[in-house]
Amino acid sequence: MAKPLPLAPRLPTRRVRILTGIFLAAVIAFFGLGLSLGELIPRDSGFQLVLEFFSASVQPAFTYQNSEGLPSDISPFLFKVGRGLWTTLTYAVAAMSLSLIGGMVLGLFASASFWERRHPAWATFRWTVRVLIAAMRSVHELLLALVFLATLGITPGAAVLAIAIPYSGTLAKVFSEMLDESPREAADALSYLGAKPLQVFLIGRFPRALPDIAAYSFYRLECAVRSSAVMGFFGFTTIGLYLRQSFENLHYREVWTYLYALIVVVLILEVWSAHLRRRFVA
Amino acid sequence: MSDRLAQVEALRKSRPRSRLIRWSAMLAVVCSVLVWLTSDISLADMFSTKRLGHLDRFITNDMLPAKLRGDAFTWGGLGDWCGEQFQLNGARAMLATLCISVLAIVLAAVAGAMLGAFGARNLMSAHPFLPHATVGHGDCSHWLDRVAQFTRLICILLRAVPEYIWAYLLLAMLGTSAWPAVLALAIHNAGILGRLAGETIENLPSQPLRALSMAGGTRRDVAVVGVFPMALGRYLLYFFYRFETCVREATVLGMLGVVSLGYYVIEARAHGQYSTMLFLIFLGGLLVMLADIVSDVARRWLQKGI
Repeated sequence: MAKPLPLAPRLPTRRVRILTGIFLAAVIAFFGLGLSLGELIPRDSGFQLVLEFFSASVQPAFTYQNSEGLPSDISPFLFKVGRGLWTTLTYAVAAMSLSLIGGMVLGLFASASFWERRHPAWATFRWTVRVLIAAMRSVHELLLALVFLATLGITPGAAVLAIAIPYSGTLAKVFSEMLDESPREAADALSYLGAKPLQVFLIGRFPRALPDIAAYSFYRLECAVRSSAVMGFFGFTTIGLYLRQSFENLHYREVWTYLYALIVVVLILEVWSAHLRRRFVA
Repeated sequence: MSDRLAQVEALRKSRPRSRLIRWSAMLAVVCSVLVWLTSDISLADMFSTKRLGHLDRFITNDMLPAKLRGDAFTWGGLGDWCGEQFQLNGARAMLATLCISVLAIVLAAVAGAMLGAFGARNLMSAHPFLPHATVGHGDCSHWLDRVAQFTRLICILLRAVPEYIWAYLLLAMLGTSAWPAVLALAIHNAGILGRLAGETIENLPSQPLRALSMAGGTRRDVAVVGVFPMALGRYLLYFFYRFETCVREATVLGMLGVVSLGYYVIEARAHGQYSTMLFLIFLGGLLVMLADIVSDVARRWLQKGI
């Protein structure tokens, strides 16, 4: 006989409980911050600014919005945008190249599959690396940039290193998970044939995770571009610096040019990485 | 034997290869090398004598609280000082940061779920889930397909602009309260969660949804009764994954003048209290690690069952 369908109300499932918890937390946070919905409506000057700012979105600037008082030999506005973008990209690429090395090394050491078939005492080392990774990830790149500014002064290397440290941590964490989740049949087969642990890992395991690793790295490059853009708010010459200056001078059309430029770069990287992922999966 | 080797070689040669992947990898390597060789970025400059002098002064002097400098340093004194700082601003800063990120991620999740539903091409087609409707092929000229395209474009715009810049712009419009930070985080994450939700919906197994549709369910019926419960589990995993990034990001948004941890960090820096600054940054790190653990535990708990 088929089991009868439950008629009595069931206990809330895990998902219902977690949803309830989440919404309760949001309500507590709302009152904890002392927020009111009225503050969401911009007042007088704020409202004027909203109007001006968003009406500027349909006509981004292609030349300086206010050329009075500018030196006559100043380079054209679009050059400035290009220079800002270029610096943003160079910081991002430099930071990513460091993070890839750091993330790969730490990711190997933090993964369980690398230490398989080895002495169990290595587990301690693996956990030390994992804690190190968590610590690296926990401090935001802007806070690190502040520390470097305070200790070393302003230099492009400070921005690059500030981005590279947390990014190495994130890459290492994700790489180690990808390595551990990669299919293990080939590795097991190699191991039964008598291959050494390192051979098993490098030939049987690592290549299986490589597509995921590459796809994720590209996604992180996109994030690095955003981080490097924001570094401009601290005086580095990335696009954030110019955006802030234009906004403070109330040149909203210039602000939109910078925003659109950033969006286009991010978009290109996203389309590119989407295509890469499709090739890998196919 | 050589026959076998030839077979292996033939197998190797016939492996799937993509020009795009190879060119991308090469471009990545070349760009990295060029950036280090040609731009003004130099790690050596970071450790020049001048900067090392800076660093030395920072470590021996600025880094410690004024009353603990030089011979007056004791670990007990440092512990007491940390306790004082924690009570003064630290606890408040951590709590505000946490509240901002919780509220932001919940708003983002609600908005992201909507964006995901309207951006999913299988749901937003002329005949959702019916056998003759195939995603990505055939006629995509129905107005609902346009809705899906437009929603996806919105998602891209929302997530392409960093949270910090959203917060900076919103702060000028809304004035000083926690809203700019909350909204900035919510907007950026709604773009990300919207895309992830859309992908989740598109990857759902189509049979149960088709059954609902063929039994006469409208698009809304299928969405509420079929798509939502089926996609919820995975969406919650993404939710917790974004939550930890949200906490991390919330720590810095305060630097614009909102009361999160970053605000007190900037304050301390402006007053030259580098010891306080470092301690607050340390607290921020602790908070992020805690959020990391919470999100990890929640995800594991969710994966164990519904």
